[in-house]
Amino acid sequence: MEPSLLARLRRRDPASLKAVVDDNARRLYRAARGMGCGRDEADDLVQEVFVTFLNGLDRFEGRAEVRTWLFGILHHKIQERRRMQAREELHDSIDEIFESRFDARGNWTRPPVEPDREAASREAGAAIRDCLDGLSPLQRAVFQLRQVEDLSAAEVGKILGQTITHVGVLLHRARTRLRACLDGKGWTSIP
Amino acid sequence: MMTCKDVSLLLSTGQLDDAPLSRRLAVRLHLALCRHCTAFRRQLERLARAARAAGREFDREPTSDFESKVGKRLESEG
Ligand SMILES: [Zn+2]
Repeated sequence: MEPSLLARLRRRDPASLKAVVDDNARRLYRAARGMGCGRDEADDLVQEVFVTFLNGLDRFEGRAEVRTWLFGILHHKIQERRRMQAREELHDSIDEIFESRFDARGNWTRPPVEPDREAASREAGAAIRDCLDGLSPLQRAVFQLRQVEDLSAAEVGKILGQTITHVGVLLHRARTRLRACLDGKGWTSIP
Repeated sequence: MMTCKDVSLLLSTGQLDDAPLSRRLAVRLHLALCRHCTAFRRQLERLARAARAAGREFDREPTSDFESKVGKRLESEG
């Protein structure tokens, strides 16, 4: 974060605060909903995130970007509410599903189908909302931040306190699980 | 030589952009020759598009004064 922006925020400069809220409030709300919070809960959480942000400004060293910091607070608050474990188990049964699609030489045993261009993404969007519930909280957070918010693996790692490599593992598991779930719903052109 | 499994795992973990140039070129070559992995990559793109469509539905939920509501809450805290 720019030192001048940090200084203005510490002075509670209304225009700077408003800019931070305008740039991030809706994205945080969307991420909270994508991570499984209900409407009211997401509304509530976003307000709490900004209050925590405001109260922490004096201790903040300015090394991270505002957005990274805000998403980190959001993740922390969801974790608190869910008492979820920050550490993913080393093993996930979904890994075997991925493995089973290849033979010993690494060739596809059940090759993927070319997706149907006409499949409506809106309907698939509704199906995917159900499937998201099947992900672990961390997989869900990584999928949301990487694929919907389009953040880099490095930034997501900072937000969630995970290594870049583990962010990759979590994204892979989330995608494999979502593809299996959508396949079960008949969306064969996606998985 | 990269196998289909190597290529699809690299695509699925989203780590292709951070891979060394030689690896990225090997993947590009593999994709040019392999329709299965090309279909797999399209499926991943489709999955992301469906997720963003779900996200856009969430975007419509907060009222238009959502930002000013958050702003007022901050004023009362400040
Ligand atoms: Zn292949």
